[in-house]
Amino acid sequence: MTGPLIPMEMIPDAWNNVIAVLLGMAFGFVLEASGFSSSRKIMGTFFGYDFVVLRVFFTAAITSMSLIIYFDYMGWLDASMLYINPYYVTSAIIGGLVMGVGFALGGFCPGTSFCGIAIGKIDAMFFTAGLFLGIFIFSEMYPLIETMYNSKNLGGIKIYEMMGMGRNIFAFLLIVVAIAMFYIAGYVEKKVNKVEY
Amino acid sequence: MNKRYLILAIIAVAIGAGILLLPENPRDRELSPADLLNAIDDPSRFLSTDLITDRLVKKDPSLLLIDVRPEAQFKMFAIPGAINIPLDSLLTPSSQAALENKELDKVFYSNSDVMADQAWISAKRAGFEAIFVMKGGVNTWFNTIVNAAEPSETEPSQAFALYHFRKGACQYFFGTGETAAPVTEAPKKPVSLTPRPVQSSSGGGC
Amino acid sequence: MEKNRRDGSFYINPYLGGVLLGLVLFATYYITGRGLGASGAVKNTVVTTVDVIAPAHAEKSHYYSKFLNENSSPMNNWLVFEVLGVMAGAFLSGTLYGRLKLKNEHSPKIKPRTRLIAAVAGGLMFGIGSQLARGCTSGAALSGLAVLSASGMITMLGIFGSAYLFGWLFKKLWI
Repeated sequence: MTGPLIPMEMIPDAWNNVIAVLLGMAFGFVLEASGFSSSRKIMGTFFGYDFVVLRVFFTAAITSMSLIIYFDYMGWLDASMLYINPYYVTSAIIGGLVMGVGFALGGFCPGTSFCGIAIGKIDAMFFTAGLFLGIFIFSEMYPLIETMYNSKNLGGIKIYEMMGMGRNIFAFLLIVVAIAMFYIAGYVEKKVNKVEY
Repeated sequence: MNKRYLILAIIAVAIGAGILLLPENPRDRELSPADLLNAIDDPSRFLSTDLITDRLVKKDPSLLLIDVRPEAQFKMFAIPGAINIPLDSLLTPSSQAALENKELDKVFYSNSDVMADQAWISAKRAGFEAIFVMKGGVNTWFNTIVNAAEPSETEPSQAFALYHFRKGACQYFFGTGETAAPVTEAPKKPVSLTPRPVQSSSGGGC
Repeated sequence: MEKNRRDGSFYINPYLGGVLLGLVLFATYYITGRGLGASGAVKNTVVTTVDVIAPAHAEKSHYYSKFLNENSSPMNNWLVFEVLGVMAGAFLSGTLYGRLKLKNEHSPKIKPRTRLIAAVAGGLMFGIGSQLARGCTSGAALSGLAVLSASGMITMLGIFGSAYLFGWLFKKLWI
């Protein structure tokens, strides 16, 4: 049963949305259980008092990356069929920078804000309202930035291709760097003043 | 607690080391001989010259026409809209980008079918998808589109439609002096549905 | 005093959370061939709202029209269902660990109203940024990193770099 299952038509399309809900539930549960429903806990990564974001994020990234690589090697998954979002250079960089500002102001990102709403966080609700407004403003402003938005499309390029490295060596380095970051994070946490939240 | 994390860290690095040992190019997996033979037998990999011409005229963005002949021949004459990837540089990294794009239908052609077929088999084996051969190659294309033969009166209306389509396409590509009105239906000339009187002037021959 | 697991203070070990999240993400890729996402669902809701209120405007717009489709509503979309699941899952977790509570969480150094204004402003910027980058931290950064997408990594670096910088600028909001 080679994956990915739905593109390979191993699962009828009608199940699509059911699967979406189930995977979403698992996603939401893990996020909330790890503490991502609290904006002050999330912001801890940026001030050094709680690195939960760093730990969960990078552990998740290297876990799924490794699973994908191994499954692809074993022939259980055709990794070339996985969707790689296309790299629009200017738009991606500016978008990232703008999102960072939003993060610093709001303390949430869309996924975590939904977790916050689910447990009753009012600031999360306001953040999500802001999301709507922001997307609406963007859509109205779209003609102004349309050219920039569609410029410099490098396609579904991979990180290691862009850096001129092999995939395996990059994956290995990513794991090593992640572990190093975890150790540094633990060290920083001990040195930083405790914050009550 | 620290010792537990150390063990986890070691496991993670071990997994990473394992990755280092895997074959580098995930596309090292070639198509199996049985699958390749099946694919070769499949007639749907051939696309007719008329179909390709139609897509070219309609400027179909999902079509990528690839001329696999040597560069010199490509420069002398090529089907409008085609790119040139000579057969011997088909599997180089620079051609990979064009071949890899799954959204495009990549159609190989050469003068007849021989080189195009070879290109197709090489590409199929290497695992590229959505690849086709234009049946008959440049020779057929030239003979049908550029030198389209006007059908005789007895032929059915589809033959006339096809002829006008080909003339129209030829004019689209090369702008010959003749005007060929775009035809959506056969000309009004009554094409023999009424039975002709049996013996009379069928002209020449018995 | 023993800490009760259900009093709202218990969080699972972050590395465990990371591994579990990694499994969920992998399962998503394995089953659907695409990663997780969140901002996409909000975008679809915006598109649907505009389409309902001002359909002519939506059709003419270069942006909305990209997501409008004769046959089905933009809300009938994988991401929308996924996000509904996210809320359900988070609700379950909150119930399990005793964190269900209407609360405006803010630093004691600022007024609650300030926090809410900052939250809306933050959401606004994030909304704009997520459309520019064609994804958010879940969709572009996390899912992108799992498949080693360049776009994912660059977006992630942009988000975290910028958040660190502006975090210190807006320090008063948090600590």
